Amino acid sequence: MSRPPLIVVFVAVMVIALGELGGAVLSQLRPAAARWVAARVVANPAAHGLSGSAEYDEEVRDRTVFAVEAGLSFFHTHAEGTGLVLFFTSTLVASVVHGVRARTALYLLLTAGALFPLGYLTYALAVLQLGRDAGVELAERWVLTPLGVAAIVGILGLAAALVRRPTPEEG
Amino acid sequence: MTPPISETWRLPPRAVLLAALLLLVTAEVGGASMARFKLELARWARGEMQRHPAVHGLVGVRDVDERALDEALFRFETGLRLFHMHAEGMALVIIATTTIAATLTGGASRRALVVLLAVGGVGYPLGYLLWSALIPGLGVERGKTIAEWTFWIPFGCATIVALLWLAALIAARVIRR
Repeated sequence: MSRPPLIVVFVAVMVIALGELGGAVLSQLRPAAARWVAARVVANPAAHGLSGSAEYDEEVRDRTVFAVEAGLSFFHTHAEGTGLVLFFTSTLVASVVHGVRARTALYLLLTAGALFPLGYLTYALAVLQLGRDAGVELAERWVLTPLGVAAIVGILGLAAALVRRPTPEEG
Repeated sequence: MTPPISETWRLPPRAVLLAALLLLVTAEVGGASMARFKLELARWARGEMQRHPAVHGLVGVRDVDERALDEALFRFETGLRLFHMHAEGMALVIIATTTIAATLTGGASRRALVVLLAVGGVGYPLGYLLWSALIPGLGVERGKTIAEWTFWIPFGCATIVALLWLAALIAARVIRR
């Protein structure tokens, strides 16, 4: 099997490494992170719609802590997956797609797709900064959707290239 | 001068591939066993927990004890599920990253990276299995501490250090080109 360009391999390894690192940080610093998030919510009452009612505010705080932890947890699981997806799909591109332009386009799409988990980091930070709804909206619209679409289009493009072109062995 | 690097992937040593495949099989068998023997596993764990009432804070009041047992049982099952998921993922991570290390690095770095990636990748998920096994007898937190210091921290660190080292070596290659 042919090897994809070094920069693509670098991104794949970095995404897997960041996924591992994210998991380790999440498991070791969970209580400290939860405390920090709760403090940030209290420091930013307007964005989170805090009302001054202890019961309601506590619910908002818990919901935000949960959303931030979910974002970090999704980052960990998705980064491990998309790094591997980039490694295997870019190897297929290097091995079976012959046109330079098509190969470059697929590398770009698949590499962008591998960065999809960064959307969950954005999600965690945006929820904290802008409040739950606005944060989710921002992460979905500007990061998760474009990078997710890039991954899907890249994989579909690779599938189309596999269907259209014979592999070197098939001549 | 940097030696030229292969344009095709080089396979890592056969022992590493075999270890990854065995981990994959163990993960699949673990997942299947969790589904097939769910009741038996829960019954065993519950029985062990009841034999260690002090560890689980059981006081002899049914309502209180049931809640404590359910919580510990949930963690026991979580440990098994996380073993299944991490073992599947890490087996693929071992195959991909040792292939990269075998192709793009050389000499002592290659050997060290392949060993760290393989050992770290195989060892880390086993920590979840150990955690689950320890929960009934030692409790959730004590079991977690033991799994952390014997498996998660050493093997997890080995994997993270190796991945960052590998990324740095590739980045150096990219910059030198």
